Amino acid sequence: MEEQQIIEAAKNGDKKAMSELVKSYEKTVYNFAFKICRDSLKAENIMQETFYSMIKSLRQFDGKSKLSTWLYRIVSNHCLMEARKKKYESVSIDDDDGLYDNSYAAGWDSVPANVVENNELKNILDEAIQKLSPDYRIVFLLRDVEGLSTEETGKITELSVPAVKSRLHRARAFLRKEINKAFQK
Amino acid sequence: MKVEKITCKDVMSHICESLGEDLESPKCIEIKSHLDECPDCSNYFKSVEKTIDFYKKYNVELPSEAHNKLIEFLGLSEDK
Ligand SMILES: [Zn+2]
Repeated sequence: MEEQQIIEAAKNGDKKAMSELVKSYEKTVYNFAFKICRDSLKAENIMQETFYSMIKSLRQFDGKSKLSTWLYRIVSNHCLMEARKKKYESVSIDDDDGLYDNSYAAGWDSVPANVVENNELKNILDEAIQKLSPDYRIVFLLRDVEGLSTEETGKITELSVPAVKSRLHRARAFLRKEINKAFQK
Repeated sequence: MKVEKITCKDVMSHICESLGEDLESPKCIEIKSHLDECPDCSNYFKSVEKTIDFYKKYNVELPSEAHNKLIEFLGLSEDK
């Protein structure tokens, strides 16, 4: 069955079709949620909320965008809501000072290729990205990590294309700087 | 030397801005030739690319327990 047909069936309350959709997207949703919050329990909750919202409002899905884009938006909104509740305190990256620190730590050259098996590197990556405020984090993750286009990223985050670019630019420079600092230790 | 010469800071800022975009503008061509000559900027470029690559490769598995809980939470368990 084509995805379009599965979506139609799910809209009409077909549970089997709903499970099909969940199975097709649960890995993507879980991974993306994890990448934003860096916590497996939170990622699991966000995943549940996301699919709950999907099933509840599937009738409103008009098929103009991809279902994945729609899901990314639900995940992003959940995460932003969570972050606002917490009154997120993150470092400001509004000024350029130090953003382009060009020192180059030897660590960059000595990292083995397998990131996932390298716990030390994983910690560095988790810590660096958690210092980035969630709205910058989401732009970086959608555009650079999930590989969405600048336009799609803008739609999901409700930002203009120039605003997406400027956040992406700062997020990249900031993460690079934080990782570089960690490699210097 | 001093007039209108792009600085390393310009170059680094540009790298962060335009990675993954179309790199054929006159400014980009100038940047590319700067990268060939300047080890600082070329290292910087390398490390920004690696930064993105690290985060791309850092994926997690969905635990089967979490899958089961999800299906149950949504009331989609297969009827027994
Ligand atoms: Zn330079």
